[in-house]
Amino acid sequence: MAIRENKTLLIIFYVFIGLFALVCLVPFVLAVSGSLSTETEIAANGYSFLPQGFTFDTYKFMFGSKSEEIVRGYLNSVMITAMGTASAVIVTSAYAYVITAKGFRHRNVFAFFAYFTMLFSGGTLPWYILATKYYHLDNTLAGLFVPYLLNVFLMYLQANYFKSIPHEVVESAQIDGAGHYLIFFRIMLPLGQVGLVTISLFYALQFWNDFFLPLMLVTDEKLFTIQYMMYYMMANIQFLASGAASRISGAIIAPPLETAKLAMTCLTVLPIAILYPFLQRYFVRGIIVGSVKG
Amino acid sequence: MARRITWFSLLALVLFLSACSSNSNDGGSAGSGSPSGSSSSEASPTPGDPTQADFSEPVKLKLVFYTGQSKRMAELAGNELKDLVKKEINAELEFVYLPWSEYGGGKTDLMLSSGEEFAAYTDINYLSKSVSKGLYADLTPYVDAYAPDLKSNVAAASFDAFKLNGKQYAIPVGNRASSAAFYSVMVRQDLLEEVGMTSIGSLADLEQYYDKVHAKYPDMIGFASADATYMLMYEYTDKNLNWINNFIAVNEADQDDKLISWYESPEFKKYADLMNGWYKKGIIPKYAVTNQPQLMSDWNAGKAMFFTGTATRPIEGIAGITKAVPTAKLQNYFLSKNDRPKISRGTYNTAYFVSANAKHPERYVAFFNLLQKNQELYDFFTYGIKDKDYTLDENGRVTKLTSDLFFDDWMMMNDKFMRFEKSVPDDFIEQYKHWDDDAILSKTAGFNFDNTAVKNEESKLNGVFTELVAPIASGFVDYDTHFPKTLQKLKEAGLDKYIAEYQKQFSAWYASKAE
Amino acid sequence: MSEEAYRLSGTKGRAKSKWLRTLRNDSSLYLLALPGVIALILFAYLPMSGLILVFKNYNYNGGIFGSPWAGFDNFDFFFSSMDSALRATRNTVMLNVLYMLTGTFFSVALAIALNELRSKGFIKVTQSVMFFPYFISWIVIGAILFSLLDFEKGIVNKLLEAIGLQAVDWYAHPWLFVVILVLANIWKSAGHGAIIYYAVLQGIDTSYYEAARIDGASRWQLITRITLPMLIPSIILLTLLGIGGMLKGDLSMIMGVTFLNPLLLPTTDIIDVFVYRTAIRSGEFGFASAITLYQSVFGFLLVLIANKLAGWYDRDSKLF
Repeated sequence: MAIRENKTLLIIFYVFIGLFALVCLVPFVLAVSGSLSTETEIAANGYSFLPQGFTFDTYKFMFGSKSEEIVRGYLNSVMITAMGTASAVIVTSAYAYVITAKGFRHRNVFAFFAYFTMLFSGGTLPWYILATKYYHLDNTLAGLFVPYLLNVFLMYLQANYFKSIPHEVVESAQIDGAGHYLIFFRIMLPLGQVGLVTISLFYALQFWNDFFLPLMLVTDEKLFTIQYMMYYMMANIQFLASGAASRISGAIIAPPLETAKLAMTCLTVLPIAILYPFLQRYFVRGIIVGSVKG
Repeated sequence: MARRITWFSLLALVLFLSACSSNSNDGGSAGSGSPSGSSSSEASPTPGDPTQADFSEPVKLKLVFYTGQSKRMAELAGNELKDLVKKEINAELEFVYLPWSEYGGGKTDLMLSSGEEFAAYTDINYLSKSVSKGLYADLTPYVDAYAPDLKSNVAAASFDAFKLNGKQYAIPVGNRASSAAFYSVMVRQDLLEEVGMTSIGSLADLEQYYDKVHAKYPDMIGFASADATYMLMYEYTDKNLNWINNFIAVNEADQDDKLISWYESPEFKKYADLMNGWYKKGIIPKYAVTNQPQLMSDWNAGKAMFFTGTATRPIEGIAGITKAVPTAKLQNYFLSKNDRPKISRGTYNTAYFVSANAKHPERYVAFFNLLQKNQELYDFFTYGIKDKDYTLDENGRVTKLTSDLFFDDWMMMNDKFMRFEKSVPDDFIEQYKHWDDDAILSKTAGFNFDNTAVKNEESKLNGVFTELVAPIASGFVDYDTHFPKTLQKLKEAGLDKYIAEYQKQFSAWYASKAE
Repeated sequence: MSEEAYRLSGTKGRAKSKWLRTLRNDSSLYLLALPGVIALILFAYLPMSGLILVFKNYNYNGGIFGSPWAGFDNFDFFFSSMDSALRATRNTVMLNVLYMLTGTFFSVALAIALNELRSKGFIKVTQSVMFFPYFISWIVIGAILFSLLDFEKGIVNKLLEAIGLQAVDWYAHPWLFVVILVLANIWKSAGHGAIIYYAVLQGIDTSYYEAARIDGASRWQLITRITLPMLIPSIILLTLLGIGGMLKGDLSMIMGVTFLNPLLLPTTDIIDVFVYRTAIRSGEFGFASAITLYQSVFGFLLVLIANKLAGWYDRDSKLF
């Protein structure tokens, strides 16, 4: 009796997850198929699951004139994602450890100090002035990840994972005379591994997906990331389609092709979607090993 | 505990705020030296005379462009263009490219507000907002001395358009036939002929054209836009209307300073009814309510019958369509225009401002001068290097050898220098040359509105416009049932006060112009 | 050492030397927090000086601190258009509450289901697929939705007609569109949330389950008696973090999905959309930042209340 009950429930779970994954996959399939269609067919018939008038023209066009830029964009994105995630995970989990340290009487102050910034911000102008005039982050690689080293939401997530580590483990270490550094690096990081995997995933996504920092701080095309190139194109499409362009001139500036938009989507999603599950584990292990040594 | 936290954090906040205030004050004062003072004292050896600037010292100029940089442009900027600018004005150019979303706001605003040195293009709207915040340099003293060629090749009225209180805040570029922008219907001539018609002269013709094509190709949409205010004007009124913004129109046929509250006018009702008819009939597709960008896609895919036109649109737009329909031809027509003169808002394409903090505004102005100095430089900036990027035939027609853009065509176009491509038919060129023959300059040209007193009302009116007025104006909902409530909302938002303020400023300006 | 002991020791006797010792003890904690504190100061607290701008008329010569005071002028706009402001506030709160309820439900359900699955490969593949939507910008999603929902050519209407039902003009029904927005939000974010909860579940000591199984608990009972309670603190945490943003909304989502269709505004006119089509359209950024401050202050008050409530439920789940 009990076994049968288990089976139906399990089947339901498989179906549920499978269906949801399928629904998540559909638009992506549409995007891939759209990027392999001809522009005319897409404009006439809309999206479809199979490419209409199958062609690599869009990619050829993009790689043909921009292959160098796209490759460079990828390299920049990879570099920033790797450096940003590695450093952000350390900064964040250290802060998270502090606000969860049992017996530390200012931990709430630190928690509030971080939380407050989630709600209030002074807008982009003072941020921009400080970042460019005082921190000199414009047109530097550091500028593309340093401002995002502490994401308060993820810090709270990590703190939540730390909280689930049994307190006895920490206490027995303390009795053995271990200080906070030792506890953090040798106990909390390895035991909080699942949490680290999760927040490193989110950080990686944040750095990979970001276009705000390049928009604000980078004018040198050598530092463009793939996501910013994508944003650049989308912003141009939106502007031209909004009719605002006619304010400047009566010209019809033909908006970039629909298919190019989809191709660009595929180019930003594909590598991380395919590679991340494989890299994830090594990546986190690397962080833990690195921090234990350091 | 909780109290302690609040207290502590407040203290911390105050500390940081004050620490920060001293910091940013430095920034403010460093960047806030009075723009005219710094420019004249540092740039020229004789502080009193800005027209005698010393060009022996090399300087760096930063130009902000929107859209991206093409490969050929980058090469040019690193070689021939660099040498040219060095030789002519002893300067080095740095090009910065931003997405279009940052035009007239966004990062451009941040760069201006934080006191960076650069130049970029602008429009009248953005100009008056920025000047009121002190973000643009006053270029008045430099125009005569450093842009004599530009001044003779660009209409004087274009310079007036970018003046505020008599000061020149931006330098216009371009000079082309641009009257009656959006007042004409641009028709797919190939389709027109396919259904046995030759030309269009009235709304009845246009609808007949739609019916005939629709019968043959039921999948095609009629009008590839949701705004025909200008185009249909000749049909719904005998006046010669022109619009200052969404809310205010003037009648160019009358020699007076009277402003018309557009939405309250009987003409608006007639227009809205026409549009509603088009919408119901399917000339404007149902999806236009939601997805306006799709209209453009349909047009470019050759799936639409007509669009609003400008003098140059038939040649600018043709490349997009011929990709889908190789046989496509475009032609401008006016509906029942009769002898009403075309209205021109100025012949410029755009204008360049220089940021308030720039140390060498005169060098920027000297650079703008190069853009429209003579045929040789015009060709260089627009088409690149002869026989490498383009060729000319015996008639002066141009053939581009690269698809990469240099300085955008739409920005540079000047009737004195412009060249047509080989594919442009002779009759179009003929039509274009005489396009402005019956044009008058709008009586509103050069007027700038200061919205300080009514910015509250203006924002609210924009809210009512996007939600309630736009659907009526595009014919998505019918006038009779929806207008009374909309009018009430417009009044609540302060329409009367807004119009009154506009009228006050316009009358004052109009009177001063007459003197 | 417990917090209680700390406090007692701080109040009596040898206070000074004790204080020094705690400071020395804690110094390593301050050092661990230092990089984070610096990041917060540099990129959040120092720029907060910009909040002053809300009460000023910014001009270049004056800069942030020298520009003339505007008092509450910038707030006037929003609060003098009361009916629009109320509607925008209502829409924002309504959509956020719906997003939060449905999003949490689906995230938790997905996480629990994932946790029950046995096939490692299946888990890995579905887990990464669930992330795909996170990458696709709202503009592209909007275009895809449009091809599904368009009245004349949309796939959904074609299906409806094929089975003999009437076509629906999806883009003309503001309340129907709320459902579409909620579904779009689940689709875009539930996979993301599921990962967070799933990670919590992976950290659970398996001995709990073994013990319960020995007692004869069924799979369903294991879920309701062990798995779900284990998730409660995380659910509370994420909800608390979400409440602060209760008055903020995603402009790019509404723009991408509805194209700012005027007919849908009765339910989709959230505060950020309202600001966009009034103040920002008119170039009045002072109005826009005043409204942002309103969103923050209101969210802050909500969080203070919610945090207190959470504290009553369980001291440990408070945010601060």
